[in-house]
Amino acid sequence: MAPNELPYLSITEAADQLRRKAVSPVELVQACLNRIESIDDKLHSFITVTAELALEQAKTAEQEINSGTNRGPLHGIPIGLKDLYATKGIRTTCHSAVLQDWVPDQDATTVTKLRAAGTVLLGKLGMHEFAFGGPSIDAPFPAVRNPWNTAHIPGGSSSGSGAALAAGLCYGSLGSDTGGSIRAPSSHCGIVGIKPTYGRVSRCGLVPLSWSLDHAGPMARSVEDCALLLQAIAGYDASDPASIDLPVPDFSSDLKKGIKGLRIGVPRANWFTEKRGTEPETESVFNNALKTLADLGGIIVELDGQPFSIARKANQTLLVAEAYAYHEKRLQEAPEKFGTSVRNRILEGAFLSAADYITAQRARTVLNRQIHANFSRVDIFATPTVPRPPEVFESMDPDEQNLRPSFTNPFNLTGLPAISVPCGFTQSELPVGLQIVAQPFQETTAFRVAYTYEQATPWHKQRPVL
Amino acid sequence: MAENTALAKLRTMAERSGLSLSEEELSKLLPGINRSHSQIAELREFMTDRIEPAAIFVASRTETR
Repeated sequence: MAPNELPYLSITEAADQLRRKAVSPVELVQACLNRIESIDDKLHSFITVTAELALEQAKTAEQEINSGTNRGPLHGIPIGLKDLYATKGIRTTCHSAVLQDWVPDQDATTVTKLRAAGTVLLGKLGMHEFAFGGPSIDAPFPAVRNPWNTAHIPGGSSSGSGAALAAGLCYGSLGSDTGGSIRAPSSHCGIVGIKPTYGRVSRCGLVPLSWSLDHAGPMARSVEDCALLLQAIAGYDASDPASIDLPVPDFSSDLKKGIKGLRIGVPRANWFTEKRGTEPETESVFNNALKTLADLGGIIVELDGQPFSIARKANQTLLVAEAYAYHEKRLQEAPEKFGTSVRNRILEGAFLSAADYITAQRARTVLNRQIHANFSRVDIFATPTVPRPPEVFESMDPDEQNLRPSFTNPFNLTGLPAISVPCGFTQSELPVGLQIVAQPFQETTAFRVAYTYEQATPWHKQRPVL
Repeated sequence: MAENTALAKLRTMAERSGLSLSEEELSKLLPGINRSHSQIAELREFMTDRIEPAAIFVASRTETR
């Protein structure tokens, strides 16, 4: 295989090539490192490239594979990690001056699991500072750019993960999601990302933004690859107080079972038109995706979106209150180390009362009940992932997102599993994502719907020109 | 006038929280804080006495971290 074809292999394809010894882990790593070297100065997706470690790990994987040791489908696969996953001996910055010299002394649980699965770490990826507040223009590292058009934002906060995957700089990544931070960059970069059910994947070793809303999850270029990554990192962890001790199913088992008769709820009324509403171009692409899902056997059911709309208010209150509680000491002692955008957003939490926080938690009880009640009528929910295409950096208004509906926030509040899969492009050739939301711990259903849609459409095969 | 009152309140709250914020910084925070408070007011509208917060403490669970 020609070296220039290697970076866009899927994990499944790369694993097959490795098993047949048509390619070696060292060749995969070298192809990624060459590509990072040649194009990442345009994207800034990596904060730290661990080239030496990656080559060393790739050589170990190669020796193991040659001696008959098989660690599974991720053995020898090069990945990148959002720079809030603690990595033993490797700088973990959260894209912030606050932590720019922090070298953790242990790995996050998910990182340990990926190491055990035989993955090769290419490096740590850029993000919104502390996973909040928009692209970091005054952080010590440059803001990540969208590979489809570098004048546009890649979405966040797992922006480096989205950009690196879309640009063919790694084969898989882990992001984190507190209000949409896996799904939004997946949508804006034309890749796949899943926020699993709250409690499915350990958060131990992730720098927190908001304990009750943070989720860890995988990002990749295909649904099948995401399922493989989730398989490696899911499961109970006593070190995470939110972790749930449930058996982990085979996430790939139902991929090819189709969606005939599946009831797909669309909570459009009182939500899609909230404030400035959904961009017509985005809604049009989404409606075409619904037609495809109906052609594939799904039954579309329109729902009232009001509880979904209100959920965002509770989500934002909890988020800023918990983020402030976590960062309070640093904001008192060295506020100048934070970028302006993230500092101002987190400081809002200083002006909330305990009663405000409890009100949001009580609202969470009600909204969770109201949103779950829809599952008597439908099996899944479908929405656009983000209500508008990626904005242009220079004209970006940080308050704009508060003037549009948030299609991702409610599923952090409710903890439901939600996946974003590419569903088309705007006229300006920017990607649009389709969000599929399943019932608690039904990631297999989310994967099945997303895979069925993906395989029936060409969007996931398109690549940015770089 | 209302904005001055709001800023004075914010200044007091910031001092109580151990934060050193200039008048300019407080002014920049004000719109976001007002938005937060109006969101919470909306959430209170559909609350009844019987609703408990979603945060749960499980007595048998201890952290191993």
